[in-house]
Amino acid sequence: MFVIQNALKSIARSKGRNILIGIIVLAIAISSCVALAIKNAAAESEAAGLSAVKISGSIAVDRQKLLEAVSSSAGTDEDGSMDMGSMQEIMAQYPDLALDELLGYADSDFVEDFHYSETVSLSGTDDFVAYGAEEAAEAATGDEGNMRTGGFGGGQFGGEPVPIFGNNGMSMGDFSITGYSSESAMTEFVSGAAKITEGELFDMDSSDLSCLISEELAAINGLAIGDSFSLSNPSNEDEIYTFAVTGIYAGGDTGETGGGPQFSTAQDPANLICISYPAAASIVSNSESVGTSVTDIQGYERSSALSGQLAATFVFDNKADYDSFAEELGERGLSDYYTLSSSDISSYEASLVPLENLSGFATTLLLIVLAIGAVILIVVNIFNIRERKYEVGVLTAIGIKKGKVAMQFVTELLCVTLIAVILGAGIGAAISVPISNQLLASQIEQMQTQSQEQNQNFGRPGDFSQDEGPVQSGNGSFPGTIMLNAARTDAGYIDQINATVSPAILGELIGIGLLLTLLSSLAAVVFVLRYEPLKILANRT
Amino acid sequence: MNTGENSMSLLKLENVGYRYDSGNKILNGLDYTFEKGKMYAVTGKSGAGKTTLLSLISGLASPTEGSILFEGKDIKTIDRYHYRSRYVGVVFQQFNLLPHLNAVENVTLSMRASGKKFPDRQKRAMDMLSKVDLDENIVRRRILKLSGGEQQRVAIARALSYDPSIILADEPTGNLDLNTQKDIVDIFKRMAKDEGKCVIIVTHSPEVAKESDEIYELAPFSGKAAALG
Repeated sequence: MFVIQNALKSIARSKGRNILIGIIVLAIAISSCVALAIKNAAAESEAAGLSAVKISGSIAVDRQKLLEAVSSSAGTDEDGSMDMGSMQEIMAQYPDLALDELLGYADSDFVEDFHYSETVSLSGTDDFVAYGAEEAAEAATGDEGNMRTGGFGGGQFGGEPVPIFGNNGMSMGDFSITGYSSESAMTEFVSGAAKITEGELFDMDSSDLSCLISEELAAINGLAIGDSFSLSNPSNEDEIYTFAVTGIYAGGDTGETGGGPQFSTAQDPANLICISYPAAASIVSNSESVGTSVTDIQGYERSSALSGQLAATFVFDNKADYDSFAEELGERGLSDYYTLSSSDISSYEASLVPLENLSGFATTLLLIVLAIGAVILIVVNIFNIRERKYEVGVLTAIGIKKGKVAMQFVTELLCVTLIAVILGAGIGAAISVPISNQLLASQIEQMQTQSQEQNQNFGRPGDFSQDEGPVQSGNGSFPGTIMLNAARTDAGYIDQINATVSPAILGELIGIGLLLTLLSSLAAVVFVLRYEPLKILANRT
Repeated sequence: MNTGENSMSLLKLENVGYRYDSGNKILNGLDYTFEKGKMYAVTGKSGAGKTTLLSLISGLASPTEGSILFEGKDIKTIDRYHYRSRYVGVVFQQFNLLPHLNAVENVTLSMRASGKKFPDRQKRAMDMLSKVDLDENIVRRRILKLSGGEQQRVAIARALSYDPSIILADEPTGNLDLNTQKDIVDIFKRMAKDEGKCVIIVTHSPEVAKESDEIYELAPFSGKAAALG
């Protein structure tokens, strides 16, 4: 009580000195508050962003890992280049997982939903042409006169309209016909980017060739609900499939694929034809049964049968389930060369980059402010104690213990610090949201400028919008497939954070205040304990 | 607790000597006894060690030889801060008042430091200050606004305020005119006679020494002193 009373009286008496200390602590508190709020908001955004959001993931062969394994084994030639034979052999050991295997994994408790689709590529017939086919034909004529190019890896073309094969040996048509296992597999429709404007959805369980076509296809081919059209196997013109239109959809995207080069009309979202998975499976099985052997342009023998590209998606309730499932896959004996990946996570992580930068900046700022603040407070305190040496002498001479005197000085500093910290938290709370959002905006601007410059360096248009719709899958492994839930070309950065001052931050601030007080008053305590009253008073005499 | 010769003595110096850190010896073989209800004068030339003796008695320094017994206990063995704050009231030569406090605050600070319970500290402080002839107008002033004599009185009031059994005063009349000197000496005498305090005054003044019950004269450097009382 004596200590507190004396401390309060002393604070009231030495207003100037305490206001000075208060201002220093206030500056430290405001900076720390803003820095802590930013750090906290960044951490919360990072955690909350994925904890409450459903995550889609898929299992694929990790080619990078496989390549590393091949190159580290004896599979290199004398000149150090990759031994293609052994590589293909190893690659062949790890094909894409079959649906049965995937369904087995989908049994896991961690998987909330599992859906899949199979895509085949078919060519148009005389009465049904692809959207954009004329432009593509014109473009191709300027080159070698064939509109059918073979994607990234497959296509050489001659004068004859011969079948062109993609990387997987799959022939390329003008249309992508995708069979969906369930409505949830039709992510574009789920997200609202595409919408049925006329007619209705086909029967998901039926293998009838009922379909949804885009408004563009319906318009250029003059089709209405109930009409039929035919498509053929690009490798076998006699293999014809007739589809009935049950619905027409409007896509959010008209086929601009984010500025990247387009190799086939099949890549145009307008040329996507949606059917049920059983229907797609029936096309593939039928094609296999009627398939013949053909020779492609490179002289390889291939079957003319259509092959479907399976895209399977596991849906998880949250990131924790996703991680657990990834672990479980290993436990269930899935080879390390297969990995579970999610564009949701990678794009979310990309969107966090500016926020993480800001958080790093906030941490550095916090450390610098604390270090400088501590030094200033220690110096001020030492001067303060030296100035009050006589007071220490008198107080100890009249019988007040040194410990009590030291405690009084610490209490004085603590009171001033606490008041300044509370004021600082208030001011910090008021300014942390606008300041952090402004800092974040400048971070994003910097990131965008960098990515724009990078794009310009590659000769691409520099202006990518932040929120792209469906675009071509970025992996290049299967150019004919349109991934409706594909990654964005440019991450939609998180540009707003709620950097508010929570009780936890207030607690941390008070902790910082206490730490600074104790640290700086340690000097005071040491001085007081060293002083001998008689010497102080004798020196004064 | 006290037996035999010590039964009446409040404070007893037994063969007390003091040597500075530098090695110079200033006090040697002092055997003094101080009792309640008496006023003592410690005299001696400058440099004889009067102030040092006062520091030893007040517990601000420890004797390098011998021991000082307070109520039969060596003050080395007791908490000297506690001893200083409750049992000894010191009037320093330089007063040692806190300049940023006024007279009343200086007095009540010592009362609070003693840890003793007083029904009304403010009133007691005012009473003590009026006892040393300081009026209400003066006691509300900051110490630096007071004259030397007034500061002297505040220092005395402070030393008396918490009712210590020993009152030590270092040249308490050094800054005062003759009339005031007499007043102050009268106050000390009253403290000894009426209130049974043990008053020890270090002084140069023969007039003050004459008023005391006993005089201890310190001889410089030799360490010898004679009880003349």
